[in-house]
Amino acid sequence: MRTVRDARIALRRARARETLRSGYRWFDERTGAADLLHKGLYEAVPRRGGWAYTLGSATLALILLQLFSGIFLLLDYVPSVEEAWPSLNYLETQDPFGSWVRGLHLWGAYTLILVIGLHALRTFLSASYKRPRELNWVTGSLLFFLVLGLAITGAMLPWDQASYWTTVVVTNILHYFPFIGDGLRQLWRGGSFVGPITLTRTFAIHIWVLPFLLFTFIGAHLYLLRRHGEFGAWVNYDTTSDDPDKEIAHRIRTVEPPYPTKRIERRYAAPNQTDQFFPNQIFKDMLVSVALIALIFVMGRAAGAPLDPAADPATLTYVPTPEWFYLPLDQFLVLTPGNPLIAVGIFAIVGIGALAFMLLPFLDRSTERRPIRRPEILIPALFVVFAVVFLAMLGVNRLYSL
Amino acid sequence: MTANPLAQTAVGGTLLSNGLLVAIVALVHIQIATYITGSCTIAWVSEAISIARGGDERHDRLATSIVRSWAYIFAFGSAIGIFFVMLVLLGFWGKFFVALQQITFGAFFFESIAFLVEVALIYTLYANWERLRRYRRARLGMLILLNIDLFWQMFFIDVVASFMLTPNGGDANLLDQFLNPSNIPLTIHRTIGNVAWAGAVLAFAGAFQYLRASRGLEPAAAPARAGAPVRSVGAMDADEAPAEPPEVRETRHWDWVGQWGAIWVVGLTTLQPWVGYSYAKEVQLHAYPAWYDMMFGDLSNVFLFQLTLLGTIFTVGTAYFWRRMKASGATHHRRQGVIAILLAVVTLFAAQPAWFAWTYADVVAQGLARPWWQGGLLNPIGNFIPYKVGALFALVFLGLASVTSYMRAYSRDEMKPGRVGRRNQGLLLALGVVVSTMMIVMGVIREHSRQPFLISGELTIQHQQTLNNQPSQLGGTAR
Repeated sequence: MRTVRDARIALRRARARETLRSGYRWFDERTGAADLLHKGLYEAVPRRGGWAYTLGSATLALILLQLFSGIFLLLDYVPSVEEAWPSLNYLETQDPFGSWVRGLHLWGAYTLILVIGLHALRTFLSASYKRPRELNWVTGSLLFFLVLGLAITGAMLPWDQASYWTTVVVTNILHYFPFIGDGLRQLWRGGSFVGPITLTRTFAIHIWVLPFLLFTFIGAHLYLLRRHGEFGAWVNYDTTSDDPDKEIAHRIRTVEPPYPTKRIERRYAAPNQTDQFFPNQIFKDMLVSVALIALIFVMGRAAGAPLDPAADPATLTYVPTPEWFYLPLDQFLVLTPGNPLIAVGIFAIVGIGALAFMLLPFLDRSTERRPIRRPEILIPALFVVFAVVFLAMLGVNRLYSL
Repeated sequence: MTANPLAQTAVGGTLLSNGLLVAIVALVHIQIATYITGSCTIAWVSEAISIARGGDERHDRLATSIVRSWAYIFAFGSAIGIFFVMLVLLGFWGKFFVALQQITFGAFFFESIAFLVEVALIYTLYANWERLRRYRRARLGMLILLNIDLFWQMFFIDVVASFMLTPNGGDANLLDQFLNPSNIPLTIHRTIGNVAWAGAVLAFAGAFQYLRASRGLEPAAAPARAGAPVRSVGAMDADEAPAEPPEVRETRHWDWVGQWGAIWVVGLTTLQPWVGYSYAKEVQLHAYPAWYDMMFGDLSNVFLFQLTLLGTIFTVGTAYFWRRMKASGATHHRRQGVIAILLAVVTLFAAQPAWFAWTYADVVAQGLARPWWQGGLLNPIGNFIPYKVGALFALVFLGLASVTSYMRAYSRDEMKPGRVGRRNQGLLLALGVVVSTMMIVMGVIREHSRQPFLISGELTIQHQQTLNNQPSQLGGTAR
């Protein structure tokens, strides 16, 4: 009896497995999911420095966290000057998890800016932006600027005192742009003053325009990463034998996909040793991402997100202070008195700096990859980093003395 | 625009008490103290490079020389500091110093602890330097520890110095003192300046020793070794070195020391206009009379001299890079020449006075506050904003281009060590003198800008002197 029952169970299981398999074959035949998954997971990455390469995937994980926490906020937030603050106040005081979700969104944004900055720094120091990965850098730098744009437009939405005066200051900066500044300010504000249309437009920019661009460039960035493979760092390409040409040729012959590509510089075509993306690298990626998200959950719960009193345009005593990531720029404004210098400071110097940052691969045309061998890039970059850190310190000191 | 009325207040006292004694004692103390602080950074960087390169001899030798130099001058510098406090501050300015110490007791207390740690570390390092040769990481750790201690020592005395200029209402709260508006920019300004100054001392010492070592050598006796990159000197191969005369070996080492020092000077000075401008901005916002005195009053032409010295540092440093690159046959040496000329032009532009009189108040008093082409004494092109700001930007970017270009040649192994001509060393000697003068001028401007106040807006020189001269009123009400 027992044997017959076992046979029936086994038969049912076999049928279930077959049903699942056929369902999977049906789905795979129409979508090519298996190939896609295989391509996504099975490829080589440089062996040395795997923890440093986790910053890119952590950035993606944090962007997705922002997307989901943003969707939850949208369920309650009302983008109008009368309702924006009350809706968030309701979230803070009446909804059992509202304060936590706001905290998640805020601390997620802070962490995202930090991580994307570190990712850019790692890419810069390892010269991963060089041929044929120039466009990886360009799309990555655009993503960096878009994240900053999302951060500042997000800070304008609560319509409390801080966000109202941030809106006034940020939209007013446009006015210093030569010739078309007034028009740009009017376009964003929807009039001469900050008002209902300003909030509606900022909201549209924050939840539609910038995310659309963000996910478009994320797609392009990931595609390019897959096309050329992770570069890693110069340490993965050092030659050790007496005949480097022979060693490089051997490396190119034996390396796994996606290395080498046809257009790459020969020496840096293929790493010395590679590792499997799945499961080795992806394990590191997930560990870092999960740790960061856990930290954000803790900070979101413990520190939350501040909500000032509702916006009051008539107030004379409120002193607006910028978010920490705009502190250097704000301090730069303090140092550039007078309209002509504000235009030079904000649009000429910062604009040229941002453009140089974006076009870095086309400015640094040498084949050198070690930082110590690239002083023509490293020294100006150190200068800029010093300037940003110094301005931030001055900004903190100034806010303390207010 | 009107003259600062406070600047017109007569200041009592004698030349000895108000000027000469303070100037000599304080400036000697400052130059020694800042050298020790700045050279500690260079020492641990050299020690780290030496370890990373598996025992680079020239960096090792430099670090050793720096540690030895501390033992020679530290005690002297400290004695001057103590003499300054005991005799000058307590003797001539007792009321002020007691008041200052009461207000900033916390800063002085931490300062004294940092001083004790400094004494312990400096002499431990000196006494055990050779013994620790087998444990170089421990030596490096001690140097870094000393550097951290020296930073805090400087920070605490900066709290006092910046508080005297921008007390921000005179609040005695410790955190308010530490974060007074000008403390952060002053600390950063000095941190960078200390290392640049130490670099200038190295450049000067390198040039001096080079001239001494190469005195007896004929130019043809020891030419630059063609094809031998600077990098390889560090290894100083044991089998190769004995073959050459010690003088040649010495000239190569001191040539490198001079270069290394000049790189620190020009490289770090590119940050100073930026930081200095921010510092001046805080002074403008929080101690306007002092700022007015520096920019428009009695000190305006001294400030102009300081700008000239700043431009001279860049120009002389770049001229040295140019000649040094030329001596090695490095590519782009002509570009360095062009940069040096441009720097000289920009310096002349920055050095232009905004008015052709001692102070702006003199111009107004003469009724000649109109442009010179209208018969007045004003020179709009000499204004600080926007023209001098533009000149400062140009100085920074040209200096950055110069040091980057030099480092590029260095990293491409284009710089060949050895005999490079005695005249090049003159530029390094000049660099050391100019940086030293710059520090003195800067100190004079900062300390005099507060007059007639000792603590800006809080305690005047008159108040201090009156009380000191009339003991019966000590502790009584201020006049």
